[in-house]
Amino acid sequence: MTPVSVTVNGTTHELDVPPRLLLADLLRDELGLTGTKIGCAMGACGACTVLVDGEPVRSCLMFAVQADGRAVRTVEDLAGASGELHPLQAALREHHGLQCGYCTPGMLMAITPLLESGQPLEREDVREAIAGNLCRCTGYETIVDAVVEESRR
Amino acid sequence: MTDWQAHAERRWAGKRLQRLEDPGMLTGATRYVTDVRLPRMLELAFVRSHAPSARIVSVDLKPARAVPGVRAVLGSADVADVQPTVDIVHLDGALKTPRFTLPGDRVRYVGEPVAAVLADDRYAAEDGADAVIVELEPLGEDEPIHDDIPGGRYFHQAAAHGDVDAAFRQARHVVRRRLHAQRVVTAPLETCGIVADYDTATGELTCYLSTQQPHLARAGLAEAVGLPVSDIRIICPAMGGGFGGKEVILPEYLCAAVAAIRLRRPVRWVEDRSEALTAGAHGKEAEAELEAALDDDGRILAMRSRFVSDTGAYSSGIGAYVEFMVGAFTVPGLYDLGAYAYDTGGVVSHKAPISPFRGVGMTTSQTLREVLLDDAARALGTDRMELRRRNMVADGPWRTVLGEEYEPGSWRTAFERALELIDYDAFLVRQAAARGEGRLLGIGVSPFVEAAGIGSAGGAGGLPGGSHDNATVAIDLSGHITVALPTFSHGQGHRTTAAQLVADMFGVAPEDVRVIDGDTARTPFGMGTFGSRSAVFIAGTVDRAGELVRDKLLRVGEILLEAAREDLELVDGTVGVRGVPSRRIPLASVAGAAHFAPHVRAELGDPTLTATAFFDPPRPTHSNGTIAATVEVDPGTGGVAIDRIVVVEDCGTMVNPMIVEGQIRGGVAQGVGLALLERYVYDESGQPQTTTLAEYLLPRATDMPRIEIEHIETPSENGTGGIKGMAEGPASATPAALACAVLDAIAPHGASIEELPLRPETIAAALASR
Amino acid sequence: MKPSAFEYLAPESCDEVLAALAGRGDDAAVLAGGQSLIPMMNLRIAAPPVVIDIMRIAEFRTIERGEEWIEIGAGIRMAQAERESASPLIEYALKHVGHAAIRNAGTVCGSIAHADPAAELPAVLLALDGEVVLRSTRGVRAVAADDFFRSYFTTAREPDELVVAVRIPTTPRRVAFLEVTPRLGGSTGEFATVAVAAAAERDDAGRFASVSLAFAGVAERAIRAREAETLLAGAEPTGDAIAEAAERAADAVDPPEDVHAGADYRRELVRALTRRALGELASR
Repeated sequence: MTPVSVTVNGTTHELDVPPRLLLADLLRDELGLTGTKIGCAMGACGACTVLVDGEPVRSCLMFAVQADGRAVRTVEDLAGASGELHPLQAALREHHGLQCGYCTPGMLMAITPLLESGQPLEREDVREAIAGNLCRCTGYETIVDAVVEESRR
Repeated sequence: MTDWQAHAERRWAGKRLQRLEDPGMLTGATRYVTDVRLPRMLELAFVRSHAPSARIVSVDLKPARAVPGVRAVLGSADVADVQPTVDIVHLDGALKTPRFTLPGDRVRYVGEPVAAVLADDRYAAEDGADAVIVELEPLGEDEPIHDDIPGGRYFHQAAAHGDVDAAFRQARHVVRRRLHAQRVVTAPLETCGIVADYDTATGELTCYLSTQQPHLARAGLAEAVGLPVSDIRIICPAMGGGFGGKEVILPEYLCAAVAAIRLRRPVRWVEDRSEALTAGAHGKEAEAELEAALDDDGRILAMRSRFVSDTGAYSSGIGAYVEFMVGAFTVPGLYDLGAYAYDTGGVVSHKAPISPFRGVGMTTSQTLREVLLDDAARALGTDRMELRRRNMVADGPWRTVLGEEYEPGSWRTAFERALELIDYDAFLVRQAAARGEGRLLGIGVSPFVEAAGIGSAGGAGGLPGGSHDNATVAIDLSGHITVALPTFSHGQGHRTTAAQLVADMFGVAPEDVRVIDGDTARTPFGMGTFGSRSAVFIAGTVDRAGELVRDKLLRVGEILLEAAREDLELVDGTVGVRGVPSRRIPLASVAGAAHFAPHVRAELGDPTLTATAFFDPPRPTHSNGTIAATVEVDPGTGGVAIDRIVVVEDCGTMVNPMIVEGQIRGGVAQGVGLALLERYVYDESGQPQTTTLAEYLLPRATDMPRIEIEHIETPSENGTGGIKGMAEGPASATPAALACAVLDAIAPHGASIEELPLRPETIAAALASR
Repeated sequence: MKPSAFEYLAPESCDEVLAALAGRGDDAAVLAGGQSLIPMMNLRIAAPPVVIDIMRIAEFRTIERGEEWIEIGAGIRMAQAERESASPLIEYALKHVGHAAIRNAGTVCGSIAHADPAAELPAVLLALDGEVVLRSTRGVRAVAADDFFRSYFTTAREPDELVVAVRIPTTPRRVAFLEVTPRLGGSTGEFATVAVAAAAERDDAGRFASVSLAFAGVAERAIRAREAETLLAGAEPTGDAIAEAAERAADAVDPPEDVHAGADYRRELVRALTRRALGELASR
C-alpha cells in the first residue's frame, strides 16, 4: 500500500492505496464518485476523462498514486450546490447532446476547459477537441451545436 | 382515435421538450449497472478460451483459489444443472444449438468462458483468472462445430413469389452483385453487466441487469437457473446503449446468478471492453447476392436474393435468425417487383455468437439492393434516379410481392424531396467538372421503408416473436400520474416521450408525470425495446390504460361537480367545467375523494384509479424516408471524405421531434461506421484481430459530416395517435447511400467493390486494378 | 482489464532513478506519462514487477534551448511541447498523436523510448537527425536517432539506462508532416497507417540542398528513405524529380501487413505521401 494525498473536487483525501489502483477506480470505488465511467481501459474512448490540474486526462491511464499532490475535478463538480446545471450541461440538454448518457461525463470534462478561454469556437475546433470521446448514440452533431453556441454566450 | 384525442389540445406531444432524463445523466448521478454497489459484493472475472476450436482437456481451478482476494472459483461442473439456453424461435427445420453456461467438453470460439473467478475486487478476480490453468487440445478443421448440424447450416429457407425463372429467361438485361457484409460489434459505450443478489430469507433473486427486455430476461433467467419467474426480479437502473446486443441471456449472467445463490453474496460482473470485443455482442456478417431482371425500359421484372449468415458458434439466440430472415424479406423495399425469389439461411462458425444489431438484415439488403439498382442504371445507360422512379411504388398503401401490406407513407415524396435538398442535378454537373480535374466525387441516394410496431400477427421477416405489451397508468393521492412501462430506453428518451403523451391525456405538466420502467416488480409484462417498437407500443398501451383511468377521473368529476361528462375537461392538473374557471378540482382532491369519500365510492363502485391495458397491433406501422450522400474519394490514398448527408424522414406523427432527430443522427453515424470504418476480423486460424478500439474503429466526431434533416408527417393508420416506430431506417439507408456514392465516384475507372466497409485500402486497390 | 500487481518506486532525483535502474532494470518499467505503458498493463500484455515513476524529478521538466539544439527533458508532456518546443516539425507531428487528453499526460521522451514503429515522434526525430540522451550509473551518452531505434518497441537503451532527453537540431529548414489514417478524409489523431516527416534545405537557386524523408508505419521501426534523399540532393524541385523520388522511396520499403493495411497499400501511401510532402517542401 502506498500513501497518496489527492484533492478531488476541492476536498483533499489522504488514502493508502495499492499502487496498481487506477485513478478511475479510486474515484468510483473509494470516493463513490461514480459519474466517471470506464469504457475501454486503454484511452481510446474518453469515457473516463477527468481534469487533473485543470487539464483533461484519461483516469483509466493513470494510477491513483500518480495523482499524489494533484487536484482532480470530476463531472460531479460541475453543477451548482443545489443541483443547478452548469451552463455547459444546460446547453447540452437544450441541444439534445446526449441520449444514453454514458459518454456524457467524459465529454463534459473534455469540453469544459475549451470554454474557459471565453473565445467563440468554430465547429471544426470543437470536433477536434471531442475527437477523443466516443459516442455511439448521438452522431456528435448536437454536442458540437451545444458547445459552439455556449462558446458564443 | 379515442375520444380524448379528438378533444384534447395537443399541448405537449409534438414539442421539442427537453428530456426529463437528462439532469441525472449530465451530473453523473444516473446509475448504471457498473455503479451499483451492494454490501459484501464480489466481483466476477472469467477465464476464457484462447483457442477457436478445441477439446477441453483439463481446467485446473486450484491455483486460483490460492490467489489473495479470491473467494470462489466456478468450473463447468459447478453450473452443470443450469439449463442450457435455447432460442425462442419456432421455424420449421431450425436446428438448435443449446448453449451451456460453462462448457465442459469443448470450446467453440476464442473468448468462450470456461471458468469464473469471484474475488473482493476485479483486480484480484483477474489475478485469479490468470492463475487458472486451462489445457486445450485443438480440434481439426473437419470437426463439425455442432454434432447435430452436419455441414454447419442450421437453417435454410427458399421460396419464390411469382414466376421468377420465366422473368429471368425473358429479361433483356440481368445484373448481379455480391456483397460481403462484414462482421461488426454493437459496441455501446456501456458494456454488458449484471449484479446478482439472492435474498436467502425470501428466496428472491434480484438482478441488476443492463437489458433491453426486463421481462423476457426475467423469464429466461428463471428457466435457466430453475427458479419460478415470480422469485426473480430484474432491475435495469439505466442503460448506456443497447442497439440489440442487450437482448440476449449471456452465459456470464447465469454464472453470476448461480454464484450469488450459492455463495449467498451479491455478485457483479461488468464486461470489460476486451471481453466485449472478443466475445461480446457481435452483429451482422453475411454473404449476400442479388440479381435483377429488367426490361429495356428499366422496369424490374424480378429479383433473386441469396443470404448466408455467419452466426458464430451458437445459433441459440434471436440474433441467429433475424439477420438472414429480415434481410431476405426486406429486399423489395419500396420497389414494385414483378416476382421475387429468396434463398436464405445461416451457418455456424468458430466465432463469437451474433446478436441482433440495429437495422438487422436491412443494412445488408438495403445496401445490396440500392447498389444493384445503380449497376442496372449504368448497364442500361439510364439515370440512376430515373430508374428508381420507374420502379418505385406510389405514395399510399401498398402490397408487396411478398404479401406484406404497407400502410400509407410518403415513399416518392420523400425521395423527390431528398433529391431537391441534395441538389442532384447540380451535383452531376459539379461531378463532371471535377472529373476533368482528376477529382472523384460521387452521390448516392437510398429510399427506405421500415416496418415497426409488430404484434403477434407478425410482420416483416415472417419471424414469430412479436407480441403484446401492457402499460399501467395510475393516479396517486398527490394527484401525480404514474405510468409503468415494460419497454426500456437505451437512450431513446422514453420517459420524456411517455410523459408528453400522458401530459396531454390528463392535462398535466410532463414534469409531473412519473414514468417507471426497467423494473419487473413495478411494471407489467411486455416485450421490451428493440425493432423500433417502443413508440408504437408505448403510445398504444398508455392510450388504452390511460383512457380507463381518465374515465374514472371524469366520473368522479361528474359526481363532485354535478356536471355532465361533455362539459368537463382535464386541464392544468384539475378536472373542471369547461368555460367556468371557478369550478375546478385539483386531481389530488379527485383522487382523495375516490379513495375516501363514501358517497363518491358508493356511486363509483370500483374506486381503483389504476388501470393496466395491453396493446397488440393488428398491423405493423411503416415509416419511410430517403437518405442522400455526397462524397469525395482521394485517388492517391483511397480515403473518403463525406461532403453532405441529407435525410428526409417520415415516421408519422412525432411526439418529440428532437428525440426523433437524435435517433436519425445516431442511426446515420452507425451507418457511417458500417459503410466506411467498422469491421471485425478473424484470421484464418480463428484468432480475432480486432480486440481493442485501436483496431475496431468506431466513428468519431471528426468522421461525421453535418447531417441535414427534414421531416414529413404521414400519420400512421395502425399506430395510436398516428405514431410510427423509427430509428433503424436511417441506420440501414446510410450505408446504402454511402456505398452508392463511393461506387459512383470510382465507377468511371471501371472499379467496383463487393465488400463492406469501403476502406481506403480496398478503394485504392480497386482504383489501381482498373 | 486491470493491471497485475507491482512494486512502485517514485524517486525524487535523477540519481535515485539511476540507482533503481542499476539494481532492478531488468524487471522494471519506467513510468513517465503512462499513455503507452498503462494500456499495455491494463490489458496484461505487460506485467512489470517494478514500476519506476520519474515524474517527480524537477530537472526532467525542462526544455533547454542551446544555440543549435533544443533539448526536451523526460518530464515534458506532449501538450507542453506542442505549445513550447519551437520545433515546427515536432509541433505539426504532435497534433496527430493520439488525442488531446493523451497528449496532456504522455511525454515526448516516453514516445521515443517506446519506439512504436507506427508512432509519429520517432519518425520526426529521425528526420531531424536528432539524438537521444541516455543516462545510467555508468555515465551519459547521446545516441543518434538512426542508431537508437532498432526494431519493434526495441531500442539501444540498456535496461539500466534512462532516456533523460531528446536533442533536436534547430537549423532552420522547411518541414512537412503528413499522415494517413484508416479514418475519413482529413481526420487527425489516433495513430498512423503511414506517416512522413520531411525536412529540406534549399539553396539560393531553389534546388534541394538536402532532404530528409522519414516514415512511420512502413517497417519494424521508423526509417529514412535514403535512396530517395540521395536522388534529390542538389536536384531542381520539378514534378519529375519528385515523382521519381517517390518511386524510389516506395520501392525501398518492405512494409508489414496488419489488420489496418497490407504491404501494397502501405507502399502506395509512401508514394503518395512522398510526392505530397516534397510538393510542400518545394513550394515554401
